[in-house]
Amino acid sequence: MFTHLFRLIWNKKKQNALLITEMFISFIVMFAIFTVVVFCYKNYRQPMGFVYEDVWSVNFTPPENITNADSVAIFHEALKNTLRSMPQITELSFSGNNIPFSMNTSNTAVSYGKHKKVMANVYNAGEDYLKVLNMKMKSGRWITKADAVSKNRIIVINSRLESELFDGQSAVGKTLGDDFPGLDQQNASQLHIVGVVENIKDKGSYQEIESGMYHPIDTGWARWTGTILLKVKPGTDATFESKLFKTLSNTIGTNIEIEHLDKKLISKNKIMVVPMIIAGVVAGFLIINVALGLFGVLWYNINKRRGEIGLRRAVGATGNSVSNQLVGEALVLATISLLLGCFFAFQFPLLNVFDLASGTYIAAIVLSVIFIYVLVTLCALYPGKQAAAIYPAVALHEE
Amino acid sequence: MIPVETTERIHHTNLNDNNAEVMIRLQNINKVYRTDTVETLAINNISLNIDKGEFLSIMGPSGCGKSTLLNIMGLLDNPTKGEVSIDKQDTTKLNDKKLAAFRNRKLGFIFQSYHLINDLKVLDNVELPLLYRNSTAKERRQLATEALEKVGLSNRMKHFPTQLSGGQKQRVAIARAIVGQPEIILADEPTGNLDSAMGNEIMEILLQLNERDGTTIVMVTHDENMARKTHRLVRLFDGSQVQ
Repeated sequence: MFTHLFRLIWNKKKQNALLITEMFISFIVMFAIFTVVVFCYKNYRQPMGFVYEDVWSVNFTPPENITNADSVAIFHEALKNTLRSMPQITELSFSGNNIPFSMNTSNTAVSYGKHKKVMANVYNAGEDYLKVLNMKMKSGRWITKADAVSKNRIIVINSRLESELFDGQSAVGKTLGDDFPGLDQQNASQLHIVGVVENIKDKGSYQEIESGMYHPIDTGWARWTGTILLKVKPGTDATFESKLFKTLSNTIGTNIEIEHLDKKLISKNKIMVVPMIIAGVVAGFLIINVALGLFGVLWYNINKRRGEIGLRRAVGATGNSVSNQLVGEALVLATISLLLGCFFAFQFPLLNVFDLASGTYIAAIVLSVIFIYVLVTLCALYPGKQAAAIYPAVALHEE
Repeated sequence: MIPVETTERIHHTNLNDNNAEVMIRLQNINKVYRTDTVETLAINNISLNIDKGEFLSIMGPSGCGKSTLLNIMGLLDNPTKGEVSIDKQDTTKLNDKKLAAFRNRKLGFIFQSYHLINDLKVLDNVELPLLYRNSTAKERRQLATEALEKVGLSNRMKHFPTQLSGGQKQRVAIARAIVGQPEIILADEPTGNLDSAMGNEIMEILLQLNERDGTTIVMVTHDENMARKTHRLVRLFDGSQVQ
């Protein structure tokens, strides 16, 4: 029967060309949508790798009158002591301004062995950064106070960068080369890895985990450091936030901004989710159009083919087999469209377009194929049922 | 191809004998078409026995119920009242699936307007009844080729129906009707759309099928000459049998 259907459709290829094109375009649109959805879902399934609840960030403009490295160190120590004296604050750490869920990004290219110019995010972190965010060490150790004044440049890298550069070997004790801006060539080639930290999803729930490395805040950078991460006790409220604001204003004397990481995550996620919702709505309208088009064409075909349906009933087809044949024809048409669509879709993983994992594309292809088959089946079922109800004597008489 | 004979035929001696086996039995058949406002009596209490191997023609003016009666015999339509038995099988109790299988095995149809599928080649059109049986593609091809050879169209197998003349189309329809080797052929004005020469050719093929293979044939026709060539003539008028 399949050969018969295929032959029937092949002989009507000109009439079916538009329908095939419509299904092909629907497949491509669904492939694009599902690629984004699968990409986001895979990222969403990844653990965050750190605790962002009850973590606040304090952003301030470093005072202009404190420029000397010793004065900066004394100022930072005084600020820390002031904050530590508050019982609601359990941990705190100075940080660069690319804290989790911020819009800031700082990155560089690093090299090791045959792996050249691998991009990695750069984070400036204090010695208690790990504790504030409850991050987990994979191997080695975290940054200490002494690392900031070490003659070697000390870094801690994340697990993803380790797997990208070291092919399954441990990164601890190895030295990386980089082209970090502002450093001379000699220093630039000496990034000593002292530890590997587990990956954290610091760009949002739906964003991919990226390679990263953590630098200690050395004396050169300390002057420009204007972010403190605070871990507060659960349930700490706005009253304390107000008190904190007043205390810091009096101590620092410049602009202060206090943010909560959980609220920053919501804002960050919106940047990803809102375009997806808009694209989903547009695709939804497209799919409704395609479904109505398919339904209309199949309905029209049945009315045009009443004589054929009557004949098939006369020569031995049951109502169900007529219905199945019409659904089958629609599915054969869908298969032709999908084969064409899959040919183009498979170019994405083969040519590594957009640098996404092959699995993401393949999952999107599978989902799109299933979606189109379900859509076509649903659109063909009712016209098929109507065809099954055609009375053969009436249909044959009409011709 | 079946040789076309022009000599007058001699009827089977057993036809209409008391011992003849009845192939189609219609008992007190009534057919009423109802709409919201009108009730039309299309068939009025017709009882008819058609013997195995008989070639029966049905005549009557347009709208007298000939095609309705043929559709009831072909199990394409249900009578409002009465019983239809084919080859001793009471068909009124068969469900859709069994009716379809019964039609497929026992009956072959020929229509005035051929009812060929224009998107399928001649060979595929002839194969159509076999698609609804458990037969392999090879068997289907072989049987369809043989059927086309019987009607003299083996050289047109790869053509589409639109490339054929009316007579050729009707021959394809006959090949389709006989491909499943049914015991009964129901022909609804098979020569109605053809000129007299073509009509005679088609009639000869039907007569050959009846005489050589013993196929029971019921033919609706408007043509007295064609009807005279059959074993028996039934005349209808206003839904009733008048002869």
